[in-house]
Amino acid sequence: MATPVAAINPGVRAGRVIPGFGLTLGFTMLYLSLIVLIPLSATFIRSFGLGWGHFWAVVSTPRVLASLRLSFGAAAIAATINAAFGLLVAWVLVRYTFPFRRLVDAMVDLPFALPTAVAGIALTALYAPNGWLGQLLRPWGIQVAFTPLGVVVALTFIGLPFVVRTLQPVLEDLDKEVEQAAATLGATARQTFLWVIMPALWPALLTGFALAFARAVGEYGSVIFIAGNMPMKSEIAPLLIVTELEQYDYAGATAIAVVMLVLSFLLMLGINALQAWTLSRHGGR
Amino acid sequence: MIGSAADTTDTTAELRARRGRRPAGSAALARLLLIVLALGFLTLFVALPLIVVFVQSLAKGFGAYLAAISNPMAWSAIKLTLLVALIAVPLNVVFGLTAAWAIAKFEFRGKSTLITLIDLPFAVSPVIAGLVFILLFGAHGWFGPFLQAHNLRIVFALPGIVLATVFVTFPFVARELIPVMQAQGKDDEETALSLGATGWQTFLRVTLPNIRWGLLYGILLCNARAMGEFGAVSVVSGHIRGLTNTMPLHVEILYNEYNYTAAFAVASLLALLALATLAGKSILEWRQPELRRTALPRRDRGRRAKT
Amino acid sequence: MSIALRGIGKRFGEFAAVENIDLDVPSGALLALLGPSGCGKTTLLRIIAGLEIPDAGQVLFDGRDATFRPVRERKVGFVFQHYALFSHMTVFENVAFGLKVKPRAERPPGALISRKVESLLELVQLEWAGGRYPAQLSGGQRQRVALARALAVDPDVLLLDEPFGALDTQVRHELRRWLRRLHDELHFTSIFVTHDQQEAIEVADTIVVLNRGRIEQLGVPGEVYDLPTSAFVHRFLGQVNEVAVQMREGRAHLGPIDISADAAASTAGSIALIRPHEIDVGRGAGGWPATVLTVRVIGPVVRLELQAEGRKAHPPLEAEISRERHEAERFGVGEAVNLKFRRWQIYPAGIPAD
Repeated sequence: MATPVAAINPGVRAGRVIPGFGLTLGFTMLYLSLIVLIPLSATFIRSFGLGWGHFWAVVSTPRVLASLRLSFGAAAIAATINAAFGLLVAWVLVRYTFPFRRLVDAMVDLPFALPTAVAGIALTALYAPNGWLGQLLRPWGIQVAFTPLGVVVALTFIGLPFVVRTLQPVLEDLDKEVEQAAATLGATARQTFLWVIMPALWPALLTGFALAFARAVGEYGSVIFIAGNMPMKSEIAPLLIVTELEQYDYAGATAIAVVMLVLSFLLMLGINALQAWTLSRHGGR
Repeated sequence: MIGSAADTTDTTAELRARRGRRPAGSAALARLLLIVLALGFLTLFVALPLIVVFVQSLAKGFGAYLAAISNPMAWSAIKLTLLVALIAVPLNVVFGLTAAWAIAKFEFRGKSTLITLIDLPFAVSPVIAGLVFILLFGAHGWFGPFLQAHNLRIVFALPGIVLATVFVTFPFVARELIPVMQAQGKDDEETALSLGATGWQTFLRVTLPNIRWGLLYGILLCNARAMGEFGAVSVVSGHIRGLTNTMPLHVEILYNEYNYTAAFAVASLLALLALATLAGKSILEWRQPELRRTALPRRDRGRRAKT
Repeated sequence: MSIALRGIGKRFGEFAAVENIDLDVPSGALLALLGPSGCGKTTLLRIIAGLEIPDAGQVLFDGRDATFRPVRERKVGFVFQHYALFSHMTVFENVAFGLKVKPRAERPPGALISRKVESLLELVQLEWAGGRYPAQLSGGQRQRVALARALAVDPDVLLLDEPFGALDTQVRHELRRWLRRLHDELHFTSIFVTHDQQEAIEVADTIVVLNRGRIEQLGVPGEVYDLPTSAFVHRFLGQVNEVAVQMREGRAHLGPIDISADAAASTAGSIALIRPHEIDVGRGAGGWPATVLTVRVIGPVVRLELQAEGRKAHPPLEAEISRERHEAERFGVGEAVNLKFRRWQIYPAGIPAD
């Protein structure tokens, strides 16, 4: 019955056999708090310091509202474009063979890996009135660079990988026999796609859309070069934060930041709920 | 997985083609159309921006290109970028390893909340990531007076740039490692412990070799973002030339000075980094195909059940 | 080393995996923990190994409390169901692992490690495979590597979780015999988990039958098979026929057969469990009239399905007779026969079906 008490490790007492729980979780929480949680909450606390009246006064100015409208509106349009073309690209990459398919597949991640400033000047060079694409569009009276359309183009670029990469694994996992079964039951290719394939893709498509949207809302580097940054017209919310900061208007910057943070967090919770729902329905492969 | 999926197209078209009664006319046409559309979209949004960077950087000849990237200001930006990545990436590697160990090897309450919180920086605009550190350490920030009294600089100096970079690259390593380690389960670690290994020996000799590709993958993505980060760093750097300018910031300055060739020359270096990252990523995915599934959204895999 | 469990309990959330388990495993025993999936047998094994910490009770090694002793200090060899071989190490490195991670003062010199690993590989008949990686071996070979790896640290106890579960019948049979021989040679205490009664009976010298986190019965294989103390054990070890006891004029009957001599059968609604080989099939008078439904020759035995009179609503009875007797009697399908029960066991009414 005599137990050498000194040999007992506290983790084992608590029912954990693999060592390191306290150390790793402790470090994780500390690092998370220092780098992310405390700095972020500081922003919220500062904005409370403003008082509701001041906060509302800052946030409800036409310029701020216009910038928020542009950021969220352009992000929504870009994410929609990405949902449509992302589905197309994912489908083509998974289902068809063609030369250089692997290379094309790898390049889908370029917007992820290319620094946003580089993307910004590259897109501007392409779509400027004298650029490769700008020249082509000018005769049609379409101007992309330095207009809200430019914002949409930049946000489409940076959101591109999200839809493709969320859809790809789902498409790969689709049981081909289900499609073949649909065919044996007399379904046309179109009917099979609409009634058999699409229902399986919806959750992933929505998730990809939401991820692309969330990324686009906060985007800065790739947009500021192409947008022209005209107040009330092509000025995005993150840029307005920077402008206010440069004028030492911390209160203004903080207020806009808090609005964006709250909207982004809600979006993120939505994505999480969506994934949990998908997982529970499809039993998490 | 791509290889096996590739041979399946429209089933009816396939059957017809095999029987040879009729060339798979409309289906093959639709397929061609889809491929052309997809490749057109990708050319417009991926290939052209990449090509234009290199074309513009060489617009005034190779000499001008070399001159632009060997300029002392460009050099100091390159060195600063490397230094920042050299500090920020290892910090996030240590964090990623500890977080993945805690999450994958133990059950505890609030685990899914913790996983969500780790992803939090992805939902934060880079500009806001910079702003939070200005609010903490700037002249009018919480710790501003204290820092000034002790003659310490965080914002508009290296520590601020590192902090902002660590913030925006925070989830990269952890979110790669967590699913990899969860999929691996606990059997190997338990075996090692039952054979008398210490926790540290178990980690180094059993866990680490098991997750090495996932770890490399995370480091690769983390590094690409760390070197390329623009918004957050732009806010905290103060744009002091030759001192707090990273490569992306240097690109912006040159561009705003209408020095396009030089801007694109420096940008081309960053584009090469991006291409190298993609190449490395493809190699790692080829070695361990599961990795590509962890790259974006998290998919919690089912754990092996026990009796 | 002897192992004793005292009042062991473990819950996972709401689910009680094991409850109030008392068990003594004498030194040198080869014991099987047998039960259906979810009965708590693996949890119990992991508690002994130190891979799970019980919520209640004590684990004693040689009479000393080891409940909270860390797994790496327990000197147990644990073999996982799916082997858990380190896939990035060769077979040799896998087996050597436990020796190489010893503190410097206790670590044997390299040459000694090599010699030991080689002799272990010889013991498991894999001396040729040292340089291979686990992925290059078959299931049975991997299982033997896992065993050699567990044995390398000279464990006091060998614990095996469904050691043969993932193997095909032929290999499984061979490995069972081999494990039995190994145990007889080396004499350490071994405990293995299985859901296969055949395996438990063939290998172990003591069987512990578990059900719903509790011990149902403990005994030597023959005893557990022949004298089950509960309907659960009776049903779990081998085939059974179930016949309800009927009371007529105060006397207990199985069909027309009067069994009131059996004192246990005095209550209505109790049930008799009869193994197939305990049914006598004959053409003589007396007994329970029945019709032969099928005749199936299975190697040395012949199995008959029989429809007993008045049991239309129940599944047919199953009887097993020897091949020799079948050759002599040649029962045909559709033939009318009479059944007698050589042995049966009565269990009270209302016992759960599992």
